[in-house]
Amino acid sequence: MSSEAATDAPAEPPKAAGRLRRSFDRNWYAWAMVLPTVIVLGVLVLFPLVQGVYQSFTNLTEANQDEVICTKTLGGGEECKENPKKAEFVGVDNYVDLLTGERGSFWLQFTNTVVWTVACVFFHYTIGLGLAVMLNRRMRFRSLYRVLLIVPWAVPGFVAAFGWKFLFNPRFGLINEGLVNIGLDPVEWFNHRWTGLFAAICTNVWLGVPFMMVAILGGLQSIPSDLYEAAEMDGATPWQRFRNVTLPGLRPVSSTVILLGTIWTFNMFPIIFFVTGGEPAGQTEILVTGAYRAAFEGVRNYSLAATYGVLILSLLMVFASAYRRTLKAQGEVF
Amino acid sequence: MSTSVRYDQASLVYPGTTAPAVASLDLTIEPGELLVLVGPSGSGKSTALRMLAGLEDVTDGRVLIGDKDVTHLRPKDRDIAMVFQNYALYPHMSVAENMGFALKIAGTPKADIDARVREAAKILDLEPYLERKPKALSGGQRQRVAMGRAIVRQPQVFCMDEPLSNLDAKLRVSTRTQIASLQRRLDTTTIYVTHDQVEAMTMGDRVAVLKDGVLQQVGTPLGLYEKPVNAFVAGFIGSPAMNLGTFRVTDGHAQIGEGRVPLPRAMTGALKADTVQLGFRPEALLPAGKGDPGSFAVEALVVEELGADAFLYGNLIGDELRADHIVARIAPRSVPEKGATVWFTIAPGALHAFDTETGLALPTD
Amino acid sequence: MTTVEVSKPAPKPAPKQLQRRRSDRPLLASLALHATLLGATVIALFPVLWILLSSFKPADRIQSSEITLVDDPTLENYRAVLFDTPFPTWFLNSVIVAAFTMVIGIAMSATCGYALSRFNFAGKRGLMWVFLITQMFPVAILIVPIYTIMANLGLIDTKPSLVIAYLTVAVPFCAWMLRGYFDTIPKELDEAAALDGLGPFGTFWRVILPLARPGLAVTAFYTFLTAWGEVAYAIAFMQSRNKLTLGAGLQQFVPQFNPQWHLLTAGSVLILIPAAVVFFFAQKHLVAGLTAGGTKG
Repeated sequence: MSSEAATDAPAEPPKAAGRLRRSFDRNWYAWAMVLPTVIVLGVLVLFPLVQGVYQSFTNLTEANQDEVICTKTLGGGEECKENPKKAEFVGVDNYVDLLTGERGSFWLQFTNTVVWTVACVFFHYTIGLGLAVMLNRRMRFRSLYRVLLIVPWAVPGFVAAFGWKFLFNPRFGLINEGLVNIGLDPVEWFNHRWTGLFAAICTNVWLGVPFMMVAILGGLQSIPSDLYEAAEMDGATPWQRFRNVTLPGLRPVSSTVILLGTIWTFNMFPIIFFVTGGEPAGQTEILVTGAYRAAFEGVRNYSLAATYGVLILSLLMVFASAYRRTLKAQGEVF
Repeated sequence: MSTSVRYDQASLVYPGTTAPAVASLDLTIEPGELLVLVGPSGSGKSTALRMLAGLEDVTDGRVLIGDKDVTHLRPKDRDIAMVFQNYALYPHMSVAENMGFALKIAGTPKADIDARVREAAKILDLEPYLERKPKALSGGQRQRVAMGRAIVRQPQVFCMDEPLSNLDAKLRVSTRTQIASLQRRLDTTTIYVTHDQVEAMTMGDRVAVLKDGVLQQVGTPLGLYEKPVNAFVAGFIGSPAMNLGTFRVTDGHAQIGEGRVPLPRAMTGALKADTVQLGFRPEALLPAGKGDPGSFAVEALVVEELGADAFLYGNLIGDELRADHIVARIAPRSVPEKGATVWFTIAPGALHAFDTETGLALPTD
Repeated sequence: MTTVEVSKPAPKPAPKQLQRRRSDRPLLASLALHATLLGATVIALFPVLWILLSSFKPADRIQSSEITLVDDPTLENYRAVLFDTPFPTWFLNSVIVAAFTMVIGIAMSATCGYALSRFNFAGKRGLMWVFLITQMFPVAILIVPIYTIMANLGLIDTKPSLVIAYLTVAVPFCAWMLRGYFDTIPKELDEAAALDGLGPFGTFWRVILPLARPGLAVTAFYTFLTAWGEVAYAIAFMQSRNKLTLGAGLQQFVPQFNPQWHLLTAGSVLILIPAAVVFFFAQKHLVAGLTAGGTKG
């Protein structure tokens, strides 16, 4: 393939073409390797995403989604005419309706989502960090503890939801049983907004801690042990070592898992859906479940669901860029 | 049977940078020769080697192995074997598998592979370890496996990229003689990259000195030592390094501290300014008495006794231009006290002179 | 790593504090440590164990919180699930879907992660961003458009529709994570392989993959779980009762007013078994495999 380059004093154009070709020679396999992923994501995520953005400016629902209405004629043929009530462009009406509370209960769900996300990520991280630090020590049964503590990760979301719903069951759940045994009143968990959210948060914290724990454990093991030795020589107490060696050493891991955890929790659908189901009366819905209901319950309102989707995506993108900027300002680039 | 290697105006500019990592390198390595590329870090010596191996894209110029232009050939089509700084042994393969891997990929019959691996293992004293994984070997053994992997292939050219830098000092000395003698025995053209000029001097048939991507000088080790073409090569080759300093010139004499040292006429004739950069090696300093012609005084700061030799590090007395220390080789076992004043002259003909602007060597006779 | 120092005897009687071996800690601290971890373990395991215990209770007694439940254990719930419902079919469907998702998911994320780790190609940065954005757009909302696409491709009510949908969920994270893992494998190995005569695919297959086992284990675990317990896509795409997967099928035991707890508990336990098997094989690699993924952005 270098034959043309080998001939002496080639003119400029073939040389440039040769370079392009060499660049292709060198890069085609890289493209080949990412191509399957790009196609699947492009077709099934990016295309719907663009479509969703468009739909959020229409009044598309299940009832008006067809461009044409076709009826079978007696002769066996089909006769189609334009749908008189087909979906049309409505500008930002959907956004106005959602944000002013005309339709749905966006702000209630938004508040729930924020509470849900902050609480879940906070407990995921702190509990995960605590357990990881403990597991990072030399001690007996360490690997046994580690295996058992990761178990919830292997439990499918809806099984976890079901299990905890079972525990929180107001009539025969073990948790109320326990409350009665220590002389308290049983709680109708799913009759109040905050108790309902509390139950859902418990479930999700239980489910999500192992991932954080494992990620942080990996981060801890990548901190060179001589840093701890140096800190010890400098007379740092265990707490000071944790503050000045462990936490800074974990920053690359922490910043990544907190961002990912926030995005995942924000969009965590099955837990709320199965644990509270929005009870009581939609009081515990978060944005994703609200969107799901818009899309799948009653007359399926695709445009409203898409509007939800675009709003969620925008919120997360704003969050992610603000988060990155904060980290960058602190000298952390990821 | 061995082939030559030629860099023909070969350049490499990394994308996004303007200064070339290697600039118009012109260099021919003779068949069977061991050429050492030496230079400080960032001098482009590794890059030059990797251009030959096909691991970096040559931006301009050509690289030839024998008569064949390999500039744009893939590494595997160049018939080159390489020894990496960190050895790059495949951790999941045994020593034997590591050594035979290239042959296996080339489709060599298994019996042949076994025979060649065994032969290489014998040469390198690796026979007891053939079934071990690299993880279970010591640093020196890993280094030998990396060598073995290269020689099993019987390639046209060996590329060695600082292969000894991960060994401890003692092992490094013994291994470098082993590599040099092995190379001579195999008679395979070899390019050897190192930042260690002692390695370069002891191993190379010829040595090429690079700085900032530009080839400074190629020559035999002794040639470089005795006739450096510029101040950089003069300061880089030799240990302890040559004393280099800028001195004032009046009436064909350089003012070195308190001494007035006569300069050869050829030298003064080539001077363009009233200063000159002079160099003299530690062993070129001869003990002298106060008042001897051309002698100057040095205040001893540290004396390193190495047994067979001793080196004196001191300040030149009465000098306003030079801040660096003077190093002199002195007789061991009766060394001057710290703080003592010692007088030296420069051995006749041992003075190097360089232009203060360009750093190029000035004629000495 | 500090064990060498640990065994070094103190040269002379030193103050008591210094004489203490480094790995020792006061008894009280040790007790507290174990108590905390034990407590956490109990919490981690309890919901699962409770479902397991409940699954052995007779159907009419399941709604009691007695802990002494094993006085009348029965396998009746399991019998009912396995023989009176299409559970075995669903189970098989799930196994097939999860296995394909796992295998294809590993293949896609590994190749993609390798390309991202090793090659500079046009669009690389953009791709990394797309990965992050795909994680942001809620799955619940993608269901409708993906349904339409699947319907156009004629894949509704088939297993490939689920496999493809799950790949969109799992592959971005896995590819990103594997890229981090590949970054920890020295680039010199690729170069050595290139000199030994391997092309990029050969290098990937014969040198890199064998070294990436921990990363691949995490990927296997993650892709499997993504597919194994998923409900929303499964309900939306699969329409015939005998084509449902477990997550979707079990929802049939939870009608609005009369949840069939006995079937649910037994079914849940059975679902956990394959997940446990995959977990068992992956667990010892999880920490090492995720290490790099977490540290590289």
